[in-house]
Amino acid sequence: MSSAATPYPLSMRQVLICGAAIVTLSMGVRHGFGLWLQPITIERGWSRETFSFALAVQNLVWGLFGPIAGGLADRWGAHRVLIIGSFFYAAGLVVMGLATTGAGFLGGAGLLLGIAHSGTTYAVVYGVIGRNVAPERRSWAMGVAAAAGSFGQFLMVPVEGGLISGIGWQDTLFVLACIVLVIAPLAFGLREPRRIGEGVAQQSVGAAVREATRHPGFQLLTAGYFVCGFQVVFIGVHLPSYLKDHGLGPDVATVALALIGLFNVVGTYIAGSLGGRMSKPYLLAGIYALRSMAIVAFILTPLSPWSVYVFAAAIGFLWLSTVPLTSGIVASIFGVRYLSMLAGFVFLSHQLGSFLGVWLGGLLYDRTGSYDVVWWIAVALGIFAAVVNLPIRERAIVRPAPA
Amino acid sequence: MKPIGRKKRVVAGYAAAALALLAVFAAYLRPELAVDLANQLWSCF
Repeated sequence: MSSAATPYPLSMRQVLICGAAIVTLSMGVRHGFGLWLQPITIERGWSRETFSFALAVQNLVWGLFGPIAGGLADRWGAHRVLIIGSFFYAAGLVVMGLATTGAGFLGGAGLLLGIAHSGTTYAVVYGVIGRNVAPERRSWAMGVAAAAGSFGQFLMVPVEGGLISGIGWQDTLFVLACIVLVIAPLAFGLREPRRIGEGVAQQSVGAAVREATRHPGFQLLTAGYFVCGFQVVFIGVHLPSYLKDHGLGPDVATVALALIGLFNVVGTYIAGSLGGRMSKPYLLAGIYALRSMAIVAFILTPLSPWSVYVFAAAIGFLWLSTVPLTSGIVASIFGVRYLSMLAGFVFLSHQLGSFLGVWLGGLLYDRTGSYDVVWWIAVALGIFAAVVNLPIRERAIVRPAPA
Repeated sequence: MKPIGRKKRVVAGYAAAALALLAVFAAYLRPELAVDLANQLWSCF
């Protein structure tokens, strides 16, 4: 597509193909890390805490480096951040495979992979999508990229499980290290020629951050996204344990996992598509409200394999459907100049919620002997998130014209 | 003619996506993989 015919230098097809492939790889490879818990802890003689702590640190580092990676992508080009991120990703996987001490494992699986995720996932790719796709198609395009990430998660769990069984856990990590390096050539498809003028060229990074953090819509969106992280990671991590406590077999948990993955792809795509035609804050409010309703129905209905499957399908449909809508709102209000960085700030809140969801789930289970309290906290937080998203207005912020 | 061609392409795209999703879903249900996955998943807790 000629850049002369459009204000967007990269064609939408090119951005979507490369962006979706990158997110499929980056989100997919990381999704099955739990499968390494048993083989690594047995072979290295570590406690499960050593492994779990490294993955918890990975999630926090991902969130903390998100605004930095996003800011660098906005300033120096997403392709550079993606290329460096892919090297971090490969290095982290290799170190994860070779580490013989807990500290080494923490450095690879926690620090290197956390940094890698911040540079190779949604926020960085969304900046390019935002700057190269017309506003009326932006939400749909973000939905396509998010659905690709969901598909990667869905695809890679059985692939990684099969590889671990076939060639061993260590060689699987080395194979994956080679696979994530494919992100580097794909990143050239997202190489933007020069900064696209948007009328805010004079705005500094600091001014953009101050503007966003003082904006009520940004504050409410960030608060809502915290809940997304809490709910998704609590359910993802603790649901199998909950099912086990109630006497359901591992086959039920496996099918539930598959259903969440399947419906996640569909729900994410539909959410992105609807975001182009309907109010994104209202859609987000609806998603959070429906999550609470699904959880209430699940915990009040007698537990059976079919109640688990219905819940897994419903919650899967609502799983990452918040991603394109949340980033889409940031783009609508603040523009696309600093989209990756601002999306990174919102995502930091998501990761803090994720950390709390995992940690509080375990803590309250130990204290009370069941997950009941945490389920109800998840319900209450869902209602809170629904309410705080309602007043958000998507109106673009008005800035004084540069002198 | 053109709108029909585009519609067919869209339908074919959705059909291909649905097939890919069902193929991956089937992978979760293959007995040997399902048992293996379930064991690894279960051992986390």
